[in-house]
Amino acid sequence: MINFQNVIKRYEDGHEALCDVSFSMARGEMAFLTGHSGAGKSTLLKLIMLMERASKGQIVVGEQNLSRIPKRQIPYFRRHIGVVFQNHRLLYDRSIFDNVALPLEISGASPRDIGRRVRAALDKVGLLSKEKLQPMQLSGGEQQRVGIARAVVNKPPLLLADEPTGNLDPELSEEIMKLFAEFNQVGVTVLIASHDLALIHHMHHRVIEIHQGRLAQSATMVENHG
Amino acid sequence: MAKQQNAPLPATKPGKGNAKPKPTSGAKVAHKQNPLNSYFSNHLKVIKSTIQDQRERPLAAFFTCSVIGVTFVLPVLLAILLANAQSINRGWDGSAQITLVLKQEVPALDAGVLAREIAKRSSIEASRFIDKAAALEEFKEQFALEDAIDYLDENPLPHVILVKPDKSLNNIDLMTNIKDSLESLAEVESALLDVIWVQRLQSMTEVLLKAVWLVAIMLAIAIVLILGNTIRLAIENRKEEIAVVKLVGGTDSFVRRPFLYMGAFFGLGGGLISLILINFILFVLEEPIHELARSYQSNFNLSGLNFESTLFLLILGMVLGWFGSWLAVRKHLDAIQPT
Repeated sequence: MINFQNVIKRYEDGHEALCDVSFSMARGEMAFLTGHSGAGKSTLLKLIMLMERASKGQIVVGEQNLSRIPKRQIPYFRRHIGVVFQNHRLLYDRSIFDNVALPLEISGASPRDIGRRVRAALDKVGLLSKEKLQPMQLSGGEQQRVGIARAVVNKPPLLLADEPTGNLDPELSEEIMKLFAEFNQVGVTVLIASHDLALIHHMHHRVIEIHQGRLAQSATMVENHG
Repeated sequence: MAKQQNAPLPATKPGKGNAKPKPTSGAKVAHKQNPLNSYFSNHLKVIKSTIQDQRERPLAAFFTCSVIGVTFVLPVLLAILLANAQSINRGWDGSAQITLVLKQEVPALDAGVLAREIAKRSSIEASRFIDKAAALEEFKEQFALEDAIDYLDENPLPHVILVKPDKSLNNIDLMTNIKDSLESLAEVESALLDVIWVQRLQSMTEVLLKAVWLVAIMLAIAIVLILGNTIRLAIENRKEEIAVVKLVGGTDSFVRRPFLYMGAFFGLGGGLISLILINFILFVLEEPIHELARSYQSNFNLSGLNFESTLFLLILGMVLGWFGSWLAVRKHLDAIQPT
């Protein structure tokens, strides 16, 4: 599903965020991306999302070579990737329902389908009863679940998360992680950047460790859960 | 527009490892509707939410529209006055006449025949022969110069034929042609076309027309800039929304759409406000202009905006608004990339 080959990302200011990163993830796999802040976790996710382009090397996502995707095709590419952010990035001027419906509206779904699928996604994250509320009326954990519902409402084959539990207490964090594991159970490839090591080890999934822009030796080897 | 091509990532189901990249998860296909339908329903939704947004900030929307409306008033008003001046130009034929001064040696009998012949021409409506003796009598009576004129040995006045051109020829060039052809007649000493004031008016309206165009172009630019700035602020306010929309796969045209509609909406509102202002101004000017016209023995009436010009003004407002916002969007949207 994801394949990095000798990927280098150097920013314009000369800072090298990733150097010579190679790894791959199979379809239906779930993995954690760990490392100190600034190690390059976010950069790696951004490369997959085409929010950034690699300076060197090859990235293939879902059989598409990212360097061959022209700028105007990026939106269509992104519709097949769900993303969850640390700060949720919900839109605070609209209801929970409308937040989750956004990706469907963008892809031109019919109102009937939007209703059905938004409710299915909200049901999955346990917030079906709150669809009419505004994001501000929800707790941090609930807001993050709205973010997850928005990420999966399109049924993307790949789900990325950047520190999805960064602002949550351990109990809520575990709930969120379990939610991701559930999506993985139905076949979604899941890659989560997190530095919550205790929680990660508890989850028994592959861990990809990144250290100062390089993959730690052991990381690519550690593989369990099939 | 709402195409969802490429489907770069294959199915979600495990065990379908080497599936070709295509949108396999049945639901994905099911939720798609006719692309044209979804295109229009998205547009409709954007229009609704644009109107809704403005209703939440009625005062701000009103001010923006007013700025555009007031900017519209000047060129439109000038254009209306100009159109009226041109209609004076066109309507002057009733008073147009060509005076043919005949040569002294032409006898009165020949002159009378000539007058009748001229009247037969298709371009001429009527002609009247004025005998020089009759003219002298009239002259004496009118100016009480009997004694002075009695001193003259002979009548100094020439025979004159007054020619009234056909009403359908209401254009100065055609009139001048007729005058020239009459002047070339052997019996005619000279021909006078009483059109100087019309010519002056015409050249004035030509100058004015250029001025109206210049003013209109400059104010159109002003409207585009004003709206561009308004839209720029709107974009600034919705930065986060734009970033999120781009992150979840919103195309540029999807992101652009609400702003373009917002611009068109402001343009339309500006057009409406300018209509109200213009009609008010015309209402105020109507009486004084009527008075002025009466003092020239004219029953001239100021005509305002007809249906077509009203429609044109509203559409022009929308187009300018759309264009201003397009410029702003083109400049600023690309700069907003999700981070």
